[in-house]
Amino acid sequence: MTDLGMIHRSESAVSIELQTPDMTLNIGPQHPSTHGVLRLIAKVAGERVTDVEPVIGYMHRGYEKLSEVRTYAQITTLVNRIDWVAGFASEVPFIAGVEKLMDVEVPPRAQYVRMILTELARIASHLVFMSSYPLELGATTPLMYALREREYILELIEEVTGGRFHPNFNRVGGVKPVYGGGSMTKKWSLDLPEGFLQRARDAMDRMEQICDDIDTLVSDNELIKMRTVGVGVIPRDKALEYGLTGPNLRASGVAYDLRKVENLLPYDEIDFDIAVRTGGDCYDRYVIRIEEVRQSSRIVRQAVDQIPSGPLQTKVPRVLKAPRGQVYSRGENPKGEFGYYIVSEGARMPYRLKIRSTSFSNLSILKWVLQDALLPDLVAIMGSLDFVLGDVDR
Amino acid sequence: MSATPDTPATETDTVDTDAAVTDTDTVENDTVETDSLQEWADALVDELGALCSTVEFDTVRIHVDPARWVETINQARKKLELFSWLSAIDWSKDVEVGDTVEDVDALEERFEVLCRLSSVENADGAIFVAVIDKENPSIDSLMPTIGGAEWHEREAHEMFGIDFVGNTNLAPLYLPDDFIGNPLLKSYPLLSREVKPWPGDVDVEPMPEEPEVTATDDVESDEDGEES
Repeated sequence: MTDLGMIHRSESAVSIELQTPDMTLNIGPQHPSTHGVLRLIAKVAGERVTDVEPVIGYMHRGYEKLSEVRTYAQITTLVNRIDWVAGFASEVPFIAGVEKLMDVEVPPRAQYVRMILTELARIASHLVFMSSYPLELGATTPLMYALREREYILELIEEVTGGRFHPNFNRVGGVKPVYGGGSMTKKWSLDLPEGFLQRARDAMDRMEQICDDIDTLVSDNELIKMRTVGVGVIPRDKALEYGLTGPNLRASGVAYDLRKVENLLPYDEIDFDIAVRTGGDCYDRYVIRIEEVRQSSRIVRQAVDQIPSGPLQTKVPRVLKAPRGQVYSRGENPKGEFGYYIVSEGARMPYRLKIRSTSFSNLSILKWVLQDALLPDLVAIMGSLDFVLGDVDR
Repeated sequence: MSATPDTPATETDTVDTDAAVTDTDTVENDTVETDSLQEWADALVDELGALCSTVEFDTVRIHVDPARWVETINQARKKLELFSWLSAIDWSKDVEVGDTVEDVDALEERFEVLCRLSSVENADGAIFVAVIDKENPSIDSLMPTIGGAEWHEREAHEMFGIDFVGNTNLAPLYLPDDFIGNPLLKSYPLLSREVKPWPGDVDVEPMPEEPEVTATDDVESDEDGEES
């Protein structure tokens, strides 16, 4: 890419007539490469972006306000719609925070079910990235491969929760109630579907295979490397200053993974590694997610082997009232730190719920990282941050 | 300026209520953990010259003098490097939707500006709290030193009407440019609820021989309203 820059600079130095006045380029809000409704107002001088102003809010649904008039049980329906690519992963920190407030102990089997489904959601989310990112760089085939494999994951999630995207499966004290929702099912004791664990193992075989396939197809591809290596470098200090978390932060050399430091789910009983890269460029942000799928598949394999027996839910009062208090609960979403700051004033509904959504912080660096980037790199850099507009706008 | 926070001191011992179900009693473990966390928080307060700290539910809150907001946060960032988020809470008696605070009469109306920083080495992290007054809510901006604070401050500005002095770009982030009002204020009505009452209220039928349930009177008589 530096070569192009050289050509550009030298040309403008030689012939002054060729200099164009700064141009303002509007991208979006409806644009295929923006993952939703994001608008960018870019000022460009020739091929170089001098300034960019992201405009968000087209999908703002006001979840923080709505949560103030929803009971704790109802809020899970809202929160899994924040990051719909991995809905299950956003439910867990919230429900764990409420459980902490109410001092509810979750049965180990339910914890493991949560962990398995969180990892499946992570794989599904990363597969979307693995399919859409090459597409943004101009490679259409990987899309078909990765999305085909994602169907296997979504089927597993659907099998257990009943929903492909919006599971709404967590309850205070466990996962979906042992006694079904209505009176018709009161005698049923629900557990995981028969044969689910074996099907999860089989699906993991496929996931490891698709990682290898994508590696062969995309990661070693010379054109992909030319588009991404050394492009959009985010150094460690800038990543921390803008609150980048998850793979985006780990690609900048910070081995920080909430699965290792927080104790919402029993990750301490599982053997897995944190994927870290040090380059901080688009290529590292891309490759690290493939590695994370491999690690997630390792976690799922161990979890289905170790899953303890027992109930899926503990007994909780029918009317859930959290005692007075304030708790910050966070977990590792596929995209990074996902947190909820719950302010309870002893009622059925929170007094205030602050949602720390991952993509919001991850996207806020866009303005900084696009400074002086080349216009063709804009989509490459933006795509590598892997954001979901529902998660940005809440 | 009411820099002394009034609520937190009483909050630490209100963990035990009727709603909590405890099969296995882990209180002893919890207290040990809370104690060491409290020590860590106290050390941080001393180091930064902050006002005081509260620890509840493993969440550390450090109260900071609003006049030293930027200075304290930047000092803390040497240890807690990751800027996680910034937001605010509106403590208000005038609640249009949702529940009021537990003890309304004792409430001191104020804004709390919150900023969370966390370490990237371990699980350490703290929420820094500055209490500012509601009449003319303003606080210095973190934007000049923490670029990531820009969007968070813009959000807090439009949602609560807090002025961040030094933030050069306080244009609305989520809301349309011509929007009037600050939606996350407790006094701001939920507009869809104004147009049409919450359909969920209709489902709450009174149990036989129980007084009629009204939209505002909820908890005790509402047995079946939970799961839908």
